[in-house]
Amino acid sequence: MTDIAMTVNGATRTGSVEARKTLADFLRDDLDLTGTHVGCEHGVCGACTVIVDGRAVRSCLMLAVQAAGSEVTTIEGLAPDGALGTLQQAMWDSHSFQCGFCTPGFVMQASAFLSAHPDADEQQIRAALSGNLCRCTGYQSIIDGVLLAARRSRAGISEGISEG
Amino acid sequence: MAQIAAQRYTGASIRRSEDPRLLTGRGRYVDDIKLPGMLHAAFVRSPLAHARVLSVDVCAARALPGVVAAFTGADLEAMTVPGPDALSTLMGAAGPTPEFTLLATDKVRFAGDPVAVVIAESRYLAEDGCELVEVDYDELPPVASADFALDPGSPPLFANLGDNIARSRSRNEFGDIAATFAGADRVYDFRIDVHRHQNVPMEGRGCVASYDPDLGVLTMHAATQSVHVAKIAVTMRLGMEPDKVRVLAGDIGGSFGLKIGASREELATAAASRALGRPVKWVEDRTENLTASGQAREESFNVRAAVSNDGDLLGLDVTMVIDTGSYPGMGGMVPAIIEAMLPGPYKLAALGFESVGVTTNKAPYVAYRGPWASETFVRERVLDLIAKDLGLDPLEIRLRNAAPRTDPPAVMLTGRPLAGVTTRESLERVAKLADIPAFRRRQAQARAQGRYLGIGVATFIEAAPGPRSPEGASGPMGSESMRLRLDEDGFVVLFTGQMPHGQSHQTTLAQIAADEFGVPFEQVRVVVGDTDVVPFGLTGGSRSATMTGGVTLHGARRLKAKVLDFASHLMEVSAMDLQITDGNVGVRGDPASAVAVSEIARQAASGEFGADVDARLEVEAVFDGGEGGWSGGSHCAVVEVDVETGIVTVERYVAVEDCGVLINPAVVEGQIRGGVAQGIGAVLLERSAYDADGNFQSATFMDYLLPTACDVPRIEIEHLQTVPLDADVNFRGVGEGGMIVAPPTIVNAIEDALSPFGVRIYEQHLPPARILELIATAGSAQPSGSAQPGRSAQPGGR
Repeated sequence: MTDIAMTVNGATRTGSVEARKTLADFLRDDLDLTGTHVGCEHGVCGACTVIVDGRAVRSCLMLAVQAAGSEVTTIEGLAPDGALGTLQQAMWDSHSFQCGFCTPGFVMQASAFLSAHPDADEQQIRAALSGNLCRCTGYQSIIDGVLLAARRSRAGISEGISEG
Repeated sequence: MAQIAAQRYTGASIRRSEDPRLLTGRGRYVDDIKLPGMLHAAFVRSPLAHARVLSVDVCAARALPGVVAAFTGADLEAMTVPGPDALSTLMGAAGPTPEFTLLATDKVRFAGDPVAVVIAESRYLAEDGCELVEVDYDELPPVASADFALDPGSPPLFANLGDNIARSRSRNEFGDIAATFAGADRVYDFRIDVHRHQNVPMEGRGCVASYDPDLGVLTMHAATQSVHVAKIAVTMRLGMEPDKVRVLAGDIGGSFGLKIGASREELATAAASRALGRPVKWVEDRTENLTASGQAREESFNVRAAVSNDGDLLGLDVTMVIDTGSYPGMGGMVPAIIEAMLPGPYKLAALGFESVGVTTNKAPYVAYRGPWASETFVRERVLDLIAKDLGLDPLEIRLRNAAPRTDPPAVMLTGRPLAGVTTRESLERVAKLADIPAFRRRQAQARAQGRYLGIGVATFIEAAPGPRSPEGASGPMGSESMRLRLDEDGFVVLFTGQMPHGQSHQTTLAQIAADEFGVPFEQVRVVVGDTDVVPFGLTGGSRSATMTGGVTLHGARRLKAKVLDFASHLMEVSAMDLQITDGNVGVRGDPASAVAVSEIARQAASGEFGADVDARLEVEAVFDGGEGGWSGGSHCAVVEVDVETGIVTVERYVAVEDCGVLINPAVVEGQIRGGVAQGIGAVLLERSAYDADGNFQSATFMDYLLPTACDVPRIEIEHLQTVPLDADVNFRGVGEGGMIVAPPTIVNAIEDALSPFGVRIYEQHLPPARILELIATAGSAQPSGSAQPGRSAQPGGR
């Protein structure tokens, strides 16, 4: 077992893990951050995407020990206190998701991408999200949510539109 | 037509009440459950497709530190009660059914069949334990194709069947087949193949079973389309009394037909929990999901079509073989639905339908979105093949054959009235939206530049729920129950047996109830997923819009009447003069009289009333589907085929759908788009592939390819104004149509793109390599039509 420490959603978290334990399992089992979902365990579906030191990573392919000393953001830390950030709000407004299992991965991937590419167009967003699989939606509503978030961010709007 | 009391929410794309928790990582999926003392299960699975199990040695696994138990198939048999598959029993499957155990005992029937289960302190340790289980197999010849399964010499998978016929050959005839075919100008022969598909929800199967030895109660946290069906399976297999089993479900990461009831692995997990007196979790990994959870389709159809020279489709005579894999399950029920649906919205004069189901050494057969979808694929493919041969436009041949909407309605040859079907309208509208003449000009220009564009149209109807039977005796989909209650906090609480796994029921049912009862949308709570409190029900078959939407509407209406009746005693006003608006009971025309429904509910709970006053503000409602009705629509795809690489790009996709009155347009459109995406995947990417020895070839996401955001185009959707059939409930199901009609739409477009090469397509799976083969072999491979003796000759007959 190896003792590790990392910053997760702004707080220092420690644990004692086997070297083989994935970051996804550490977050879910040791830290009870079950918002990060495990969809394939071989790095294809993207459901487990978290942000490590500013970059979107597959937490099923990264070992917990590899993340020691890093700064990790999960879906739970994207907006404080369970509130919705601009991207999450836009995705709610756009009916982006159905079953919700792929959702945290898409949100984290899109969040990292939009930070680096705030002016991305639809094709760029599709390419950036093409490593995340969704079986429910056909993607259009997800893409629309990201486009709406980008538009609102550029306009400096973070509030949701009112739909009733 | 009566109207919903208010239409404030119904019909609007209200944001989903599910989303705030899902968008912030606060969903509660089965793998998120952690109970004190919880153990983890992992299964040892057969590496061979077909073999006798000679011995299973779990001693080394049991000795591994951290492993708590290891059970063989024989152990599990001793811990459970033998019995048939609960779902098959529930659906009344006829004839002898395969007999098998939860874990393999005498033999394994597919590569992935569970042989033993290891229970340990963590999933890591359980998998370590699996590595130490030694199984001796005596390999048997694999039955890896339906053709071999039909051979009486193939080794039977199930001793009690004696051969590999899972569903015996049967034939039904409708209309005068001999006369219809004899009188036809042309008779075509086609063989159409549909490959093996699978559901692949992003969350696989899983459960947490928790047995309380003191109470003798087993609580199962499940990912299931029906907590009650799962409970029936647990009670049957574990031999427990119904009051000792409780099944709960939270958020579910998709299913598409996979998670009905409880699987063999889930039942084994429950048995292990009871034996150990501790909670046990099993969550399958992706390899297990792809290899062992279940697959669907893989059907072949020999189709004879009787056609007039003008393009009238007069008769079909179809022989179907379905490969139901190792554990047939749903597969045995598919042919009968295909038979019933084969005429579609067309006015056929005769139909012959023969079918046989076979067992093979492939994964179990499960329901997958539109389990009967191949009826539409066959019909819509055959129509294009015939149109091409006769030089007719694909739209023209459909309009020519679609039954007109008459009063009384035309009746499908197989018995159901085509009441309110809008096939003609949707075909005409989708053609207009796609602007086919403009496309043809663009297609010609592109071809001149060596680019191959194609357009495809297909149409479908779906019995969601289907029309009331002509006799009117029973509803189209049985009945749906709901309990509704006004709580003291003013919330209208709906208890439903629906088990949403992406369908947004917690939003859509609340919309209907809010409008009908008269409270804000936010003041409705939809309770799901607990056998102790919800009525029997199942999410599947696109039933929830009509059946559950309907019971919500009628139930809310009855609850409202009851609340008004009670309030009339309190307020000393006739109930006729009272109304509920915006969560307040008040006298019509007197806003000052308004009393919050929460106050009414509190008084009902706390006051003492005479025997003539019913203060129990709760109702049980049952809905039989009313007049029912059809869903349906027509889709159109524009594709480009790169004839150098074989890559197909879907450039444009237009859907014109009729699912009756929309509850929540954004939810409806999400269902359509998701289904179309699965159809695009089925044609261009996905295939559950086996080699000749029955080894599974697509056990990872590198091999089983799902469509990505770059593969699915924007899908344009237009909703047709429906033909209302019922006085109140005209919401219709829309869950399966996209997956039913997208495959023929895409394939029709691909064939159109490749028409300069003379390509004819008789299959559904068209990855790039296959496209290149089709181009290379065009003109030499398949049939066209054969003229009747003495009639005009046809080119290229088979």
